[in-house]
Parts: sequence; structure tokens; C-alpha cells
Amino acid sequence: MVFFQNLINALQWGSFYALIALGYSMVYSILMLFNFAHGDIFMVGAYIGFGVATALVALTAMGNFALPGWLVLALTILISMFLTSFVGMFVERVGYRPLRDAPRASAAITGLMIGIILETGNLILLGAQRISFPSLIETSTYQLGGVVVTNKKIMIVLVSIALSFALHQFIRRTRWGMAMRAMAFDYAVVPLMGVPLNRIAALTFAIGSGLAAVAGILFGVAYPVLDPYMGILVGWKAFVAAILGGRGSVVGATLAGFLLGFIEMFVPMVFPSTFRDLIAYSIILLILVFRPHGFFGEPYSARLRL
Amino acid sequence: MESTGDELSINGKLKSSRVREFVAPIPLLSWLLGALVAVALEHYIGTSFAQTLGLRKAPMLFGFDIMLKQPTLIHSALTYLVLIYFLPIIVVARLSAAGMNGLAAILIDYPLMLTVLIHLGMLYAILHWWSNMSLYRADVLRFTLIAVLLTLSLNLINGYMGEFSCSHPGFMALGAYASSVFTLGLFADDRVFGPALLPQWLGPYLFPVALVLGGVVAAVGALAVAIPSFRTRGDYLAIISLAFMFIVKSLIENLEFVGGPRGLGDQPGWANRPVVFVTVVLGIWIINNFVRSTLGKALNAVRDNEMAADAMTVDTRQTKITAFLFGAFWAGVAGGLYAHALRYINPGSFGIQMLAEGLAMVYFGGLNSVYGSIVGACSISLLGEMLRPLELFKWIIIPLLLILVMIFRPTGLIAFREFDVKKLVRPKQASDR
Amino acid sequence: MKKFVFAAAIISIFAACLGVCAYAKGPDVIRIGVNAPLTGDIPKVGEGTKYAAQMWLKEVNAAGGIEVGGRKYKVELVIEDNEAKAESAVKATTKLITEEDVLAIVGPQASKQAIPAGGIANELGTPMISPWSTNPDTTKDRPFVFRGCFLDPFQGPVVANFVKSEFGFTKAAVLYDVASDYPKGLAEFFKKAWEGLNGAGSVVAYESFTTKDADFSSQLTKIINSGAQFLFTPQYYNEVALIVQQVRQLGWKKPIVGSDSWGSAETVKLCGKDCYGSFFSTHYAAAGAKGATREFIDRYQKAYGYVPDDVAALTWDSVRIVKQAVQNCGKLTGDMKTDRKCVRDAMAKIREFDGITGKMTFTEEGDPIKCAVIVRISDKGEFEFYKSVCP
Repeated sequence: MVFFQNLINALQWGSFYALIALGYSMVYSILMLFNFAHGDIFMVGAYIGFGVATALVALTAMGNFALPGWLVLALTILISMFLTSFVGMFVERVGYRPLRDAPRASAAITGLMIGIILETGNLILLGAQRISFPSLIETSTYQLGGVVVTNKKIMIVLVSIALSFALHQFIRRTRWGMAMRAMAFDYAVVPLMGVPLNRIAALTFAIGSGLAAVAGILFGVAYPVLDPYMGILVGWKAFVAAILGGRGSVVGATLAGFLLGFIEMFVPMVFPSTFRDLIAYSIILLILVFRPHGFFGEPYSARLRL
Repeated sequence: MESTGDELSINGKLKSSRVREFVAPIPLLSWLLGALVAVALEHYIGTSFAQTLGLRKAPMLFGFDIMLKQPTLIHSALTYLVLIYFLPIIVVARLSAAGMNGLAAILIDYPLMLTVLIHLGMLYAILHWWSNMSLYRADVLRFTLIAVLLTLSLNLINGYMGEFSCSHPGFMALGAYASSVFTLGLFADDRVFGPALLPQWLGPYLFPVALVLGGVVAAVGALAVAIPSFRTRGDYLAIISLAFMFIVKSLIENLEFVGGPRGLGDQPGWANRPVVFVTVVLGIWIINNFVRSTLGKALNAVRDNEMAADAMTVDTRQTKITAFLFGAFWAGVAGGLYAHALRYINPGSFGIQMLAEGLAMVYFGGLNSVYGSIVGACSISLLGEMLRPLELFKWIIIPLLLILVMIFRPTGLIAFREFDVKKLVRPKQASDR
Repeated sequence: MKKFVFAAAIISIFAACLGVCAYAKGPDVIRIGVNAPLTGDIPKVGEGTKYAAQMWLKEVNAAGGIEVGGRKYKVELVIEDNEAKAESAVKATTKLITEEDVLAIVGPQASKQAIPAGGIANELGTPMISPWSTNPDTTKDRPFVFRGCFLDPFQGPVVANFVKSEFGFTKAAVLYDVASDYPKGLAEFFKKAWEGLNGAGSVVAYESFTTKDADFSSQLTKIINSGAQFLFTPQYYNEVALIVQQVRQLGWKKPIVGSDSWGSAETVKLCGKDCYGSFFSTHYAAAGAKGATREFIDRYQKAYGYVPDDVAALTWDSVRIVKQAVQNCGKLTGDMKTDRKCVRDAMAKIREFDGITGKMTFTEEGDPIKCAVIVRISDKGEFEFYKSVCP
């Protein structure tokens, strides 16, 4: 029973890592960059979601039109995805595009700095108090033979799996996806074939940020306390998952995200919980010793742009 | 309109070339002499002069604090800066240039070591005098010097080796804890480690041993990162080192005998100004020799083209591991200094925030460059201190500055410049540009 | 070039003249330092500190300043940001002492900054009072360092005794943050006290997580299955909200008990109905407060728009202790060293100080002996006074 309970919990926790890791992984595969601002884009997404949800709830309360909770949530997710993708494109335009030909690590530093600016900007604009995310849907709890499941948990897991599946299909089946794969294959030559590099880069960031926004809102639904620094640790851990998944693999990033969630949930089940990080990251280290290219990545020895 | 623009730029060029002409014949010795005069001036008349200018005290860090907190006193602070620092340095440096060039020409015939020691002695005198004005300056100086060492050791990996390492806070933590356990266990009556085992007076002499021990422990820890990550080329070092940082933090949190999350305090304060200065200078000297040695060149070759380096009989894996351990060693030494300068450490300090600061210093200053590391560490540490009155806005301004540097000089301010001591200390002639 | 030097000299002399006109040294000024985490991990704590100190400043200067030995001194606050970092707190403390010439320092708040900063303040002979630091090391063997709150070794048993006498439970569960100094210390002292009351093994679940975690369901599942009768979680308000909501979602109905870090208006705001009916030990109860405490709460709320949390209340008491000590000192000579020593001695002698968080008397170590209050979160979400426990 405890095992299944933890399985459910781990699925939910892994969903966030998976959604955020997808954004990291896309940028990493296509532009070969570490987008260290991604954790903070997740934070911005959560705050935008908070704003949109509050506005929608207020509109509903004024009595202009009545919306059921789940519809409000769906609208919040869609609108915030849209808005946050602009944040992502803005970050790309300001922080990464001028550094196209610079060493990759320099771009990583700009990302890190943009992240700090986003955090501090949030703190200046909204003040130091934490914000509680409005509960848009009522929690209903189901008991399945001793295992407690809530409707929110089911929704979160389903949404994240559906989104990563959709992204996978997008990359496999559409022309844009094909352009992205080509770009990931050879960054230098493909733009010469008429693939618009800047537009692909912007699209990559937009999709990644949209997914981060979904993660942010779902995070707010599950853990309704938002603060400006919420993205840092989750972001760095998702970064581990993204690289662990292997370069250029949507499935890999998703699986690695879930794996990280599982490790973090199951280690306290077996070992004393004080040792959680110690054991969890030692496991990651061991995995990398035996699979140095991540799960789905191909070994590559091509010269990196550094 | 266009012509005026051109004229302006020509004017600007003329001016800048005039400044260059003015500065070119001044050797390093003269600059040091000028700075020495300036700090002496400040030492003797600084406080009273500041008070006649309407300041409560001599401006602590070049007047930034005063300018930001009391804008009405900006002109006083500026006057102070010009009269106490700027003018004496310029005037003395220019006037003594001829004599000092002669002296430098004489010194060049003696062993390089002597010249270097004279320069370092003057530099230390300047820093010591400057920081004698207040304990606050002394503290800022010590932590800035430690930051220089940390930045340099990180530059070794991120700049010279061209990998992206995130584990430096972890190495620093290992060094800090190892050396603290050594000094606390042997020389202090501590609640955790019991009474002192060795007499107090012996302590300062064995402090280098503590630092080396810290460095060695950090290097051994680095093996755990190096062995799995250098089997192939790739970005896996980034996450292995990140995982390593989480592991070290979690490990120390679980070690009750070093205080766990409560931290470890009351280290003997042996990391005073001379000790920090000497250690950091020694560190710079050794690291500089390392990167200019065959091994350092091999490292650059591995970074630029691993396959070609391999073909040229460079043992790439061994080169990388050696350099990585070497970098970790110096991070551990920096950690030991940090622990004994702050006299309190806790695992929470060695986290992502410290990593971000370290990376900022390396990339701001410049990759693959000793100069760059010194400049980066000094500017970011001092900026952080000087902009403190801005509170939150400080964390907008510093990142913005760094982004601008990255956009306009993607490898940092002073990247890929060799630190050649001989070139630095030789006499200069006006024609010699 | 000559022209340039000449011009610079002229300008600077001109500026120097201006400066002389601006120069006005107020000898009748007392400077008090505040060392607060305005940026970094815990900006809310910094905000509370700053607001409480500024409110106090306004009050004091409206009354004409502090009266020492028949002379009125105006007060100046020097607020320094310590970025919630140990290194920065040390620099800020040194700066306050050597550069700003403060008579006494209030803060830093969190132990990880207060321990190293206290070392510096003690070395340089400047009285420092940390309103919020609960780690014994902060004041240990440091005659110049004081604190404004009770310590973990006191609070842990208070909670254990309360639960024992109130509910008669025998099996406890604890959930705490292993990476943070305050929760870990309190959890340990509670465990010791509880096992003293109920015998070894009576803490049936002793679980931890790491700062910034948001999902505790794995640990909570363990706790639920351990058969514990109640949960003690000495966490900060943002984590409290998540912990309590998650344990309720997992179907747990048993009582939850907390510590003084729950004492913020935000606890209820973030946690909602799930927290109603919980108990925690703290310094003061906002709802139903009377007298000076009520007045402080009302004024703070009016000025800044929210009910002050425990940090603000403790800071308020600490600055008032500093004021009391300066007054008791009797005479300021103008020599910083003597004056600081005088203030320190006066502070150590304070008896029965009537603070809004209770009456305080300092021990040898500089720790206050004061009462704790058990508060119940009412069904309206207010902090109700339930019981007072004195040492």
C-alpha cells in the first residue's frame, strides 16, 4: 500500500520535473545552450497564472458570466501559456540571440543573470509576501484500497503526459518539428539550407516557456504557495533531468523527469529521510557512470562550440 | 551632422591617445609608488580632510556608500576621491616615472624573484595601509582576495579546460570543513572535539598544513566527479558536478560531529591579512605557472580540439583529470581561508548562490586569463559591497552589467591574456607601446 | 596636461568649499544599527525588521529622542542589508561598528548570520541584540551579545508538556527541515523532551525534508502509517501551509502542533481552513491581545497594511530594550568604547522588561527568561490565546 501511495505521489512530483525538463531539453538539443533562466520562467509562469486566474475568478464573481472551475483552470492554462511564451521569446531575444556566436557558457551566464533579474523584479513589484494560488477546482479525494488519490493528482499527471506526447508528435510530424530536428543535427549547416534560425530559436523558447507555464500553474494547484525563489531549486534539478534524458530526446527528458521524481520520493521511503539528497544524487551519479550519454542520447564526439 | 560626429570621434581618439601617451612611460613601480603616497596621504590626513569636506569619516569604499545614501554629499565624496586618490597617484606616478624606469632597468639585471618581491612588498604595504583605516576595509580586502583565489581555480576548469563545472561550492565546502576540523580539533577547546591537543602557539605555524589538508580533501572529492565525467567529452560534467554539490551539502548536513546544518564556528582567526595575501599570491603564482607550463598548453589544446590533441600524443584524459584536481585543490584552499576568515561555516552557505557568484566573477573578468580572474573577482566583490545601500536594486544592476559585458565581450573583459610577470615589471619608455 | 591638473585643482577646491557649508556634525545623535536580510532568501523577515525599526524611530524622534542623563539625543537608524548570507552579515556588522559608529546593533535575525556577526560584535565591544535567533551559540560566551526570544531548549519541552497534559497522547510524529538550523534544533529538543515524558521510542516518526521542497507526501505517508497521534512541525509559515494541506489531503484528521515560526498572519492566509484548530507555541497572540501589544499591532497594521508577524514584534521589543539600556546607562561620554560598554552593562542589568512579547530578564548568557504562549487557530482563522507557559 505504502508503495502504491508513494508511486502516486512520485508521479505527481515527477510531472513537474518532466514538464520543466522538456523546456531545458529543447533548448539544449536545438541551440546547444544551457538555459539557466528556465527555472525562473517557470516561476514567472506560475505568477502569470496566478494573475490570470485571479482575474477570471473576479470576472466570474461579478456575475457577468458563470464559468465552472475546470473551465477557469483550462482558460488560465491556455492564456498563461500564451503570455509566458512571450516572456521566453523576450529572454531569447535579449539574452541569447546577441550571443549566437559567443561561447556557449557565456550564454548560460546571461541566462543565469536574467533569472536573477526576474526574481528580483518580482520581489520589487509584488513585495516580499508569499502568494497563495486560488483553488480553482474542489479537491475530491478517492480511496482505492488504502491508497489516497485526489482529482488534482490525476489531472496533473495526465496533463503532463499528454503535453509531452503532444510535443513528441509535434517534433516528429510537423514541418517546424522537422526543422528543429535538423537544427539539432547540424547547427551550422542547416541555416544555410534556408531554415530560419532565429524563428526556430524563438519558437523553441516559446514552446519551452509555455510548458514551464503549465508546470507553474499545476504547481500552484498542487502546492498553492508561490514565492519569487520557487524556481531555483526545481529548475536546477530539472536541468539534471534534462541532461540525464539525453540530448535531443523528448521521451528521454520526460522519463528522466519522472525518474528524478521517483528517486526523490522513494529514497525517504526506504532510507532515513535526512539522507534523501545524498542518496538520490549518488544514484544519479551512478547512472551517469554506467550510461554516460544519458538514456536516449547518442554519444557524440563532434567538436562543441566552446 | 555626420561630419560633427566624425570630428567628435577624432577628438575622442586624440584625447585617448594623449592619455595613452601620458601614461605609457610609467612603469608599474611608479604606479605602486603613487598608490603608496595616496594611501599614506589618506592615513595621515584622510579623516580630518573628510571632515572639512562635510563627511563624517573618510569614505570607506571609494565613496559609493555616501553617494548612494546621501546624494547631497556627492561632490564632497568626489572631491575626496580626486584629491586623495586620483591626483596623488597620477602626479607621483608621472613625476617618478623617469627615476623608477631607471630603477626597473637596474633591477632587470638581478633575478626576477627579487623584482617581484619588491613589487609585492609595495603592493602589500599599500593594501595594508589602505585597509588599516578601518576593520571594514580589512574585511572587504580579505574576502575579496579569497574570492580571487576561488575565481582563479574555477577559471582553470571553465576557462582553461573549457568544461562547465558546477561543483566549486562543494570543493570549497570540503576544504573549509576539513581545515576547520583540523584546527578546531588540534588547537581549540571545543565542545565537539574536546580540549586542545597541541599548544596554542604552534597553531599559526601549522595553519598552512590545515590549508593544504583542506585542498587535498577537496581534490580527493573531485576524483568522484572526474572519474565518471572525463570518460568522454560532453556536457555531463555539468550535471555530475551539480549532483556532487547537492551530495556534499547533504553529506555535511548529516554529519553531526561538524554541527550539521547548525554549522561549525569559532575557528581560530588565523586567516588574517598577511596570511590571506601570501596564500593568494602563492596560489596565483602556482596556477599561473601551471597554465603556462606544457601541461597548461596541453589543456588548452584539449579544449580547442580534443581529437587533434590526442593525435599530438596528449593524454587527454589524464590532462583533464590533473587539471580538474588541481582546480579543486585551490578551491579547497580558498575554502580553508574562508572558514578561518569568517570563523563560521554552515552547509547552507555553499550552495547555488555561491555557484552563481563564482560563475559571474569568472565570466565577468574573462576566460582563460589570470588577469581576468583578478579583475572579475575584485569588481564583483567590490560592486556587491559598494552597491549595498541600493538593497534590491543591486540585484538588478549587477546582473544587467554582466549581461552587457557578455553581449559586448562574450568571453569577458580581459580574456585569453597571458599573465607575464616579466613584461609587467620591466621599465617602460614613451616610445615603447 | 597642465591645464587638466589646474582645472581639476580649481574644481576640487570649489567643491571643498561647498562641502564645508554642508558640514554639520550633530553631537547629540545616537546611531543605532539594524542588520536585516532585506534581500536574499528571507526578504519577508527583513521587511518586518525594517518596518518595526522604522516605526520605533518615528515614535522616538516624535518624542524628541532618547533622554540620557537629562539630555535629549536624536536617534538615527542605520539599516544594512545582509543578503541573508553569513559573510555579508559579518561585513555589515563590521561596517556598522567601524564606519557608522553605531552605539548598538539590532539583528541579524537568522542564526546562520547572527552567530558569525555576534562574534564580531563581541570582539569589537559593541552590544548586539538578535531578536529572532534561537541557536544557543549566538550568545554563548559572548558578553556583548543578547537575544530577544526564548531558546529551543525551552520551547521544545513547552510544546511536549502542553500536548501531554492537554491530550494525554503518547505517540508523536515530527516533520522538519534538515537543512535549516532552527527547525532542526527545535525538532531535536522536542524529541528529547517527549521521550523524557513518554519513554524511548515514543517519537514514532521523525521525518525530514530539505529547504525549498514542496512535496512532503512521501514523509507524510510514513508518518500516517506510523500510528502517531499528532504531528509536530516546527516550520516556517509557507511550508506549514503545504504540509498541513498535504497531510489533510492524505486523509489524516489528527491534531497538528507547531512552533513560534507559525506566528505570522500569512500562515492562515496561505493555509486556509486546513490549519483551523491547530495549536502552536509562540511569543504573543495577536487576536485578543490587550494593552501595549494591541496598540503595537494596530499601529503596525495601519502603517503597513498587515498584522505584524513574530519577527516584527520581537524586533520592536529589541529596539525598545536598546532604548531602555541607553537610558539606564545614564551618561554618554561621546567616546564610543566607553558608551558601548556602558550600554552593554545597562542591558545586562535590565530586569522584568515589559515587552509586548512578555516580561524579559536576561540571564548571564544574555538570553531572556520569558513566557511562551500557546495559541490556537480559531475557526475564524484568528490566533486565540489558549494558555501561557512560564519557565
